[in-house]
Amino acid sequence: MKIWPLQFRSIDSSHMVFTDDTGKFFKASTKFLERYATENLSVDDTIFLQQNGHAFLNFDDFQFVGFASRWINRVSPVGDLKYVILVPTLRCDLKCDYCQVSRVAKKARGFDWSEATLRQVISFLSNLSPTEVKIEFQGGEPLLRLDILKTIRSFCRQRFKQAEFVVCTNLQEVSDEAWEFLSADDTQISTSFDGTNHHHQKRRTISDTQQESFEENLGLALARFGSEKVSALPTIDPLDPPEPSELISNYASKGFRTIFLRKVNFQGFARKKYSFEGADRHWEAFYRQFIEELITYNMTADKPVEEFYLSHILRRIVRSGHHNHVDLRNPNWLGKDYVVIDHDGKLYPTDEARMISRVGQIDLSVGDLENGLDAETLHSLNSEASNFDDPDCVHCVYKPYCGPDVVDDLSRYGRIDLPRHETDHCQRHMFLFDLAFELIFSENLAVQKSLANWLDISEFNQRLAPVLS
Amino acid sequence: MIQMQISSEFPPISQPMVFRLRTIIPKDPQELDNCDAVLISEEDHFSEFDLQGFSIRLKLENVHDFDGDVILAVPGRKSVHRLVRSQSKHNTFLVTEQCDQKCVMCSQPPKKHHQDLFDCFLDAVRLAPIGATIGISGGEPMLHKDRLFHFLIKSQKLRPDVRFHILTNGQHFTSGDQRTLSLLDLRSILWGIPIYSADAEIHDRIVAKTGAHEVLLQNLAFLGSVGGLIELRTVLLRSNVQGLASLADHITTFQPFAHYWAIMQLENIGYGRMNWAGEFYDNSVAFDPIAKSIDLATARGIPPSLFNFPLCTVPDDYRPNCFASISDWKQKFIHECRGCALRSTCGGFFEWYPEDNGFSRIAAQ
Repeated sequence: MKIWPLQFRSIDSSHMVFTDDTGKFFKASTKFLERYATENLSVDDTIFLQQNGHAFLNFDDFQFVGFASRWINRVSPVGDLKYVILVPTLRCDLKCDYCQVSRVAKKARGFDWSEATLRQVISFLSNLSPTEVKIEFQGGEPLLRLDILKTIRSFCRQRFKQAEFVVCTNLQEVSDEAWEFLSADDTQISTSFDGTNHHHQKRRTISDTQQESFEENLGLALARFGSEKVSALPTIDPLDPPEPSELISNYASKGFRTIFLRKVNFQGFARKKYSFEGADRHWEAFYRQFIEELITYNMTADKPVEEFYLSHILRRIVRSGHHNHVDLRNPNWLGKDYVVIDHDGKLYPTDEARMISRVGQIDLSVGDLENGLDAETLHSLNSEASNFDDPDCVHCVYKPYCGPDVVDDLSRYGRIDLPRHETDHCQRHMFLFDLAFELIFSENLAVQKSLANWLDISEFNQRLAPVLS
Repeated sequence: MIQMQISSEFPPISQPMVFRLRTIIPKDPQELDNCDAVLISEEDHFSEFDLQGFSIRLKLENVHDFDGDVILAVPGRKSVHRLVRSQSKHNTFLVTEQCDQKCVMCSQPPKKHHQDLFDCFLDAVRLAPIGATIGISGGEPMLHKDRLFHFLIKSQKLRPDVRFHILTNGQHFTSGDQRTLSLLDLRSILWGIPIYSADAEIHDRIVAKTGAHEVLLQNLAFLGSVGGLIELRTVLLRSNVQGLASLADHITTFQPFAHYWAIMQLENIGYGRMNWAGEFYDNSVAFDPIAKSIDLATARGIPPSLFNFPLCTVPDDYRPNCFASISDWKQKFIHECRGCALRSTCGGFFEWYPEDNGFSRIAAQ
């Protein structure tokens, strides 16, 4: 019998989690590690390892092929370009404390697409090969250029078999015409709501009038379209977070089933304004408390709620083939299946790349509408798109579930070759994976109830948390 | 019940043959095939068709329901068989009645005699409606693997739009088939292959063939690695229900390339009827082993489909997994179904479902 290499990490004083390259995992005692390392496996060990898919007898036998197939499913394939984020204007009618996208004043000139740019965008879209497309309107505040949104949407509806649209709006000022635009079945609304009205006003709307108008518009949007069509994200300042239980009940009472907690980002104006000494510790404490509150909430809730990113991580741990979120996948191909077109017609691989470039730190544009995608730049970014042969990641127990974030590394450190454990991306994900495995191996029924919901099943199953005893 | 056999008056034939019924004559005569039988007259219950100058009389209730159907006539038989019903999604070619397994639930117990009808099947594929899916079943179709592969290659050349769903026990692939399989468009062929247990002994007992499980696992790995689309099929039995969650574990670990996993309730016919008392598992009273298997496989990314499960025998949470799978021509509803709100989405029961000896909890919803 041959055993595929196992990585391992302590989860308590006497137990460790073991994983192989396909992401198959189990919990075992530290004594097993000794037996594994010294090649003194017991009969029970070998039976367990075979049944759980960590071993094979012969090249090409069913165990070997099963492993190969699971491994292949872990690889995120290069997809066709069919998700385009458009920034028709950088102008915004709010000046949020931690604006991540480096906005400009509502009356500023020269920060909108010109007629020529609009024509180029349409020509760019018309050259896409897939028959379906998803367009996300970002800003600035995209509703300030409703005329452009209309033009793009009509064009896509006629050009593609299937076209979906998301408008990322602050819902601050919504004209009758804009409501009419947002009411279409193929158009979704994405907004920010910082969890409590107090927090939202403090950081975003500032004045009572503005806050009232936001609350009214969010209420209207939900009443008219429901949470199927409207989503909201809270941005959290780790040094001044809302009370988790309050955040949860505010979201749940509006009908939201998903909360995607976003730590205020070290980009755009936020970078200039805040010093985040010790913020990571605060963030982790807040995040953990939030998940605990969420589990308590779900215990009795008719409609359970998830934290989007933790669910994504849990799904990536339990099943292979889960590549649908571009923030965490492996390889994390840049400039392939989605791209950002900025207000000046420049192309960026991600929204973060656009922001970093905007603050003048480094130019991460990957072409422009004039000349198309710059193959050479993309190639050099994508040469680091996977963690397969990263000298640090190869030893990591969480490698099969994780994925690199070249843009984040560049934005923080200006380089991508730091020892992994020193990077924010690695530290943040180690924390999340540790938490995820703590939950998976928990025997607490409340935890298992939430886990079942987050994994899209009715009841948690002990077999999902294999233990070698 | 939908009519599959049709009483006929037919000129004497020496070879099996197929023809297609046309009750509406196409405007463009080019659209007529040599095998088209065109409606000439309707009188009493008989309709008369013209096939290349020969008269064929068929006893049909409503002749226009049969337009486009492909009919098989076999020498010496009075009735003809509706091989392809143009309005149905359930069209199956029975390749042979021979089989090398003797499964306890077999709905169509094997026979020794074999009649090769592949030439007729090829004609039938040519005449089938656009985008049809054709089931290939038996017996064990792969016992005539060379003829079957030849038929598939020719069919795909003639009609690349036609899809196939081949039910096979998976015992007869060899690594030498790789070349032949590479000649096929494997994306339009779904291989339905049964696996009854993760435990070799239990599986072998169910199919009555020693060593079958080992061969099966090896061949699934082979078919998966050449890119075949695979639907795993598990008939729920008393002898495998307790091991169903282990099977879910096994499939998600070792056959993660499978595209579908169907868990199917027992059909009270053939050996299934003979073994009903010992093998029918009443999931209406104890669904737990099935629930656990669904949860495990779904979490791991292969959500199972439940076939032949009346909706009222399945807890609410698991009803989205149910498919109304019983072919229209062998489906029935029983008196408890009267007034049931779920009837239009429920698969109902097999025509031969024994009402006095089946599920103990059947209730209109």
